[in-house]
Amino acid sequence: MNHEEQLIRYAAKQLNENERAEFENHLSGCSDCQADLTLWASVSSEINASDSAIAAPVHLADSALEAIHAPSKLTRAFKSTAQLLHMQLLLMHNELWVGSAALMFIFLAMALLVARVEVLHFFVPMIAAGMVTLIYGSEHDPATELTFATPISPWKILLARLTLVSAYNMFLALCATAALLLILPPQTLGELILGWLAPMTFLSALALLLSLWIGTSNALFISYTLWSAQYLALTSISEWFAFLTPWIESYRQFWNDPVLLFILGFALILFALWSVGREQVQWRRSIAL
Amino acid sequence: MPAAEFALPWKSQETQATMTQPVDDLDLIRRMQAGDDDAVRDLYAQYGQRLYAYALRLTDDPATAEDVTQNTLVTAWRTARTFRAEGRLIAWLLGIVHHTAMKSLRNRTNYLGDVAEETIREDQPSPEEQAQVKDERRWVRQGMQSLSPEHRAVLELIFYQELSLNEVAQVLNIPVGTVKSRLSYARTHLRGVLARTEER
Repeated sequence: MNHEEQLIRYAAKQLNENERAEFENHLSGCSDCQADLTLWASVSSEINASDSAIAAPVHLADSALEAIHAPSKLTRAFKSTAQLLHMQLLLMHNELWVGSAALMFIFLAMALLVARVEVLHFFVPMIAAGMVTLIYGSEHDPATELTFATPISPWKILLARLTLVSAYNMFLALCATAALLLILPPQTLGELILGWLAPMTFLSALALLLSLWIGTSNALFISYTLWSAQYLALTSISEWFAFLTPWIESYRQFWNDPVLLFILGFALILFALWSVGREQVQWRRSIAL
Repeated sequence: MPAAEFALPWKSQETQATMTQPVDDLDLIRRMQAGDDDAVRDLYAQYGQRLYAYALRLTDDPATAEDVTQNTLVTAWRTARTFRAEGRLIAWLLGIVHHTAMKSLRNRTNYLGDVAEETIREDQPSPEEQAQVKDERRWVRQGMQSLSPEHRAVLELIFYQELSLNEVAQVLNIPVGTVKSRLSYARTHLRGVLARTEER
């Protein structure tokens, strides 16, 4: 061990008795070590004086315990999501839920009476699309100002409402489809669900986006027209429309392509979530003016 | 100057009594492993002052030092199972403080050590200040502040936390040789500060 290291240990009082006595013998005849010892003594004195004067805050142990027992990020995220969904459920019109259920019941009864599954395939997407046009915006949302005044991003509010409505529509449609099994074999259940699931997703997304842009009435008119157009039998009206037949066939193919409908549907939902933020900015500008 | 005249007065008896109080480190660790909340309170009562002082020495900011100390307790709780009884508990805890503080310093945009260093090099003190600078504690303080956190850490761990060179190396996660070279650099640097102070 060299003298420099011994000096540090001596100054820090880390030498045992023998080492200490031995080093003090050296120290008495070494002016360099004496100068260094003075330096380290000053440093040690300063460090100890300033550190000993520090009072550690008394609350840190309890703060640490709070952090230790705090719920995990996942739990917090789950709780805040549940809270947001609950808040939005309270803010939405009760008539939406009752109206959709009533319409679904009527069209289910119709489908059972005429024994035609197409009735449900036609009306399920329309009910869902109609419902989503009524979930956001000043036209039908009495809590618009309240919504914009909250610190929650508008896209989160829209997503929460869309989730609630979509889950409810899905539940109604599944119940209606299950009821159809009264007149159809059970093995057709999957096929029945696929018949309305993809069109419902796309038509709802389209109606939602349009309702944000041009209002509920226009959104309903355009989306219902586009949906109904596939069922038009123009040639039965006049042979003049025969040239349109290939186009109509392609259009029907589009509504029967579930993969394409899902992709476009989710893209439209993302676009709607993005555009709702812009709507809030415009609303704030109009208030400022 | 004869060696016998070095009375090493920088440690008060009270401080030494606090430092050398026997601690059942293993019991604390076992209790934390068992999920006993009071173990964290006891750990803080025993070592909190030293942990906070070290955090403050590294960060130069009381709020950051509080965060670092609190995060150290949380980390100690969560990693109590990884503690090996080969070393002292305080060295393990100080290692956590050091790692947490350095992480915090890296995230800070304004590096306080550099600011202090520039201030000392460039600012010309007034005659009154020059007189004050001659005060021993003042030049030591200035010299300490102009050292980087890494160098200050070595001095703090040796002279206040009373760690051996091996323990310092363990806390800082560096070889013992690097600890020695940092000590050598600190000595040269402080001598320079002292020489400049005496010239004024």
